[in-house]
Amino acid sequence: MDRQGAVFFLAWLTATWAPPLTVAGMVATTQGRSVVDVVCAKGGTAFVFAGVGVLVALLLSVVLARYWPMPWRQWVERHGWRLWMLSLLMLMPYVLAWLTRSSACRRGPAFFWESIFIETFILALLAVSYNLVFGFAGILSFGHAAFFGLGAYVTGLLMKHLGWNLFLSGAVALLTGAVLGLFMSLVALRTRGLYFALFSLAMAEVIHLLARNRILVHITGAEDGFVFSVPEWINPVRHRLLFYYLALVSLVVAFAFVYRLILSPTGRVFLALRDNETRAQMLGFGPLGYKTFALVISGLLASYAGILRALLNKGASPNVLSLDFTMDPLLMTILGGTATFDGPVVGAFLLRFVEHVLRNAQFRVGPWSINLGEHWALLLGLLFIAAVLLFPQGLMGSRQKGQETP
Amino acid sequence: MTSPLLQVEDLHTYIGSQHILQGVDVEVPAGTVTVLLGRNGAGKTTTLRSILGLWKPARGRVVFAGQDITGWPTHAIARLGVGYVPEHRAIFRSLTVEENLRIAERRKGDFQRRRDFLFDLFPDLARLAHWPAGQLSGGQQQMLAIARALVPENRLLLIDEPSEGLAPVLIEHLIEAIRALSASLTVLLVEQNFHVARRLGVHYAILEHGRTVHQGRMSDLLAQPDLIHRYLGVTV
Amino acid sequence: MTQGHPASPHRRAVLAASLFLVGVVVLNVFLFPPAQVGVILLSGLYQAMLFFLVASGLAIIFGLLDVLNLAQGAFFMLGAYVGFGVYRLLGEGLALGVRFAAALLAALLIGGLLGALVERWLIRPLYVRPLFQIVLTLGLAMVLREAVRTLYGPAGLIPIQPPAPLRTTLTVLGAQFETYRVFIIGMGGGLMLATWLLLRRTRLGMVIRAGVEDREMVEALGIPVGRVFTLAFALGSGLAALGGIIAAPYIGAYPEMGDVFLLNAIIVVVLGGMGSFEGTMMASLLVGLTRATAEQISLEYLDTPLLASVSILLIMILVLLVRPSGLFGSEP
Repeated sequence: MDRQGAVFFLAWLTATWAPPLTVAGMVATTQGRSVVDVVCAKGGTAFVFAGVGVLVALLLSVVLARYWPMPWRQWVERHGWRLWMLSLLMLMPYVLAWLTRSSACRRGPAFFWESIFIETFILALLAVSYNLVFGFAGILSFGHAAFFGLGAYVTGLLMKHLGWNLFLSGAVALLTGAVLGLFMSLVALRTRGLYFALFSLAMAEVIHLLARNRILVHITGAEDGFVFSVPEWINPVRHRLLFYYLALVSLVVAFAFVYRLILSPTGRVFLALRDNETRAQMLGFGPLGYKTFALVISGLLASYAGILRALLNKGASPNVLSLDFTMDPLLMTILGGTATFDGPVVGAFLLRFVEHVLRNAQFRVGPWSINLGEHWALLLGLLFIAAVLLFPQGLMGSRQKGQETP
Repeated sequence: MTSPLLQVEDLHTYIGSQHILQGVDVEVPAGTVTVLLGRNGAGKTTTLRSILGLWKPARGRVVFAGQDITGWPTHAIARLGVGYVPEHRAIFRSLTVEENLRIAERRKGDFQRRRDFLFDLFPDLARLAHWPAGQLSGGQQQMLAIARALVPENRLLLIDEPSEGLAPVLIEHLIEAIRALSASLTVLLVEQNFHVARRLGVHYAILEHGRTVHQGRMSDLLAQPDLIHRYLGVTV
Repeated sequence: MTQGHPASPHRRAVLAASLFLVGVVVLNVFLFPPAQVGVILLSGLYQAMLFFLVASGLAIIFGLLDVLNLAQGAFFMLGAYVGFGVYRLLGEGLALGVRFAAALLAALLIGGLLGALVERWLIRPLYVRPLFQIVLTLGLAMVLREAVRTLYGPAGLIPIQPPAPLRTTLTVLGAQFETYRVFIIGMGGGLMLATWLLLRRTRLGMVIRAGVEDREMVEALGIPVGRVFTLAFALGSGLAALGGIIAAPYIGAYPEMGDVFLLNAIIVVVLGGMGSFEGTMMASLLVGLTRATAEQISLEYLDTPLLASVSILLIMILVLLVRPSGLFGSEP
């Protein structure tokens, strides 16, 4: 059944992209321009074609699944709204180009908005990795920023100082994340919930302090951080559209991976251990392998998010190692729904966009003019409290009950 | 027979999603010892905890001295005169023996009033009054847990597995102590050891899979060895 | 009274901590001239007392309620602001000493009251979901800090004046030392003793200690544990707020002032084994003296304050690796 799902997904992808690209190609040949020129035209002419293609593909698949017992029927029922969201995000650069009458792949307003989306994808990826540990494995960590920040620092510093290429540096960064996860799991196995949270906090703080400190200023640039040159083919300024899709695909892959993992027998043991460790142990599942596994995988994903972040900013500052990048995924996870699949992603979008909208908002209440952007942290805190007290399940929590979460 | 001091009717309790008690009925007549019998996991401890409100029953009634106490907060139930001696000797290990007794005071001076009586009943405790309770032997801790329940003027004692893990000599002492108490108190006792139970109990109730399957006078039960064998796996 | 007690189960931990303390002192004597050693030790004690005031609340609350109250640093900060407010409100007419004492008292009371409200309305609904309680206190800390930043600005307030006798300096072994620091040490020591007596000699203290071990049993004895929780929470936050106003004439009042103290207090509590009051006392001294020494070493031999903050974090990491439930915590 799942192989059919995969086949369907691939077919759907093809159906989505083939028509607009064909149309773009036809337009290009008749007008004597290159395909890239057509795709990048101001106002995103290609958007129309792409949009039509996506809508046709989606409608077809949904209609087919509804009225005929297609093999992918279950798959569509389960993932339908995710498909809609994904197609919207795939189209987003063109929607932006169309809305702002600018080009999707050259400097302009659409360009700027794409970067906001890219940042959000990266944060969502981080939140997905956090949810794996916090939501599914039930380990409260206050040191997640260490994975994220190390991913950025290791990649950037290796490329800057040793001149290593991106893939080698990235591989080393991922390895660092995995090793850190392994090390942390050594403690996670031995301690009760809270001690681990504090241990991870201390670990992350030590790394953060080291990165900020002037002792290593020649390597890390201390408080100011560092910049490095990114390979041309992935340069987010020049090829932002490419980077946009890279980040989106990364998020989708990570999501699918966590999804598959949690619904697999291994994932069930995660949940069993989280809910009742003693009981799971009596059934013969030691926490040893599983907690380690969760932390290592989560470390890998978070480091990967860090690498993307370093590439996007063409550098890193100690900020990526600070508590902020632990709190953000924590809040996103809780807001969206702890231990749900979509929760962290939804939370990331919500938080990032609310923040972006409010950053520049001025409100007038009687004689007072309130600049909400200045008090963003205050709102964030209130959101925290409200989420914990009022929506313990998160936005996605009640939606998925009994359907997917075992 | 007068109306019972404690009456439990059709009690249902869930722990998490597990339906542990599925209809427990127990009557505890005043001034006697009633023993709850049953195999491991039959719901004996859960019954005691549900009576005290440490688990909230989902259905059924608990009536104490004519008052419906179902769903009351634990401390309010205790204040009506219900003492609890939990299993595994849950004394406060870091407090001294005397503090363990003082903390049970419901009115100022309870401990002073009862002091001689308690130390007479459990002479060891007098000697060890200033020791941290965690340093006592298992038997001494059990005595302390019982003594603690006797500091305030309780009308009913809920005692859970007092003989568990104790040496035979200590069990004898324990039986003596509980007998001495039952002259002035009502006791609901959970006891795994049938040979202890038969000597203490005047009434009994047998639980199986969270339900009461039998109750009555202990003398009647002893006349039915097949019943004892079937539910408790003990040959008399 | 104490005769006949068998050895404390924490004897080894106490021994290790004492040895470590002696080691730190010896290291000082070895590295620095005697006059400086005196200053370092006093500075360590002064830090230890402030850490203790934040940490004791953390430890009590954790032991009793299993909640790590991350808003404890915010209570520290609020204490300073409340104290400053009362001090200014009372105006010039009154004697400095009276205004100062009123500021201390107000911080303690308002901090306590606030703690009680927080426990009653925010923490209590969440007893079934402990991880979320921690997250909630974190959100609360953010809200309080940002609210103060919004109302009073990010720059902080100019420190208030303590009474004249506290504004002098003392000469200790030939080195100058502010009297106010000695006052902080004295106050801290006094409060340590008072809290200890409260826990050891009063019925409330007895109930708190028993509740740390087994709250169900306390409840089953007929004691309304909920009220005790609220009181304990109020006590913890009150002490932290008092710590804030005591420290404020020295370090000022600014929105983030609690963060550093919270982090150090957390380390103290972890080292001390959460829920153990004696452990907290010992660990405060340990962290205070280690920090002071590391600060001095950084200053003299390295040109960065890195060592001071990293050293205790490393100690905490090490302790958790070796003894996962803290130095004085009981093994599960």
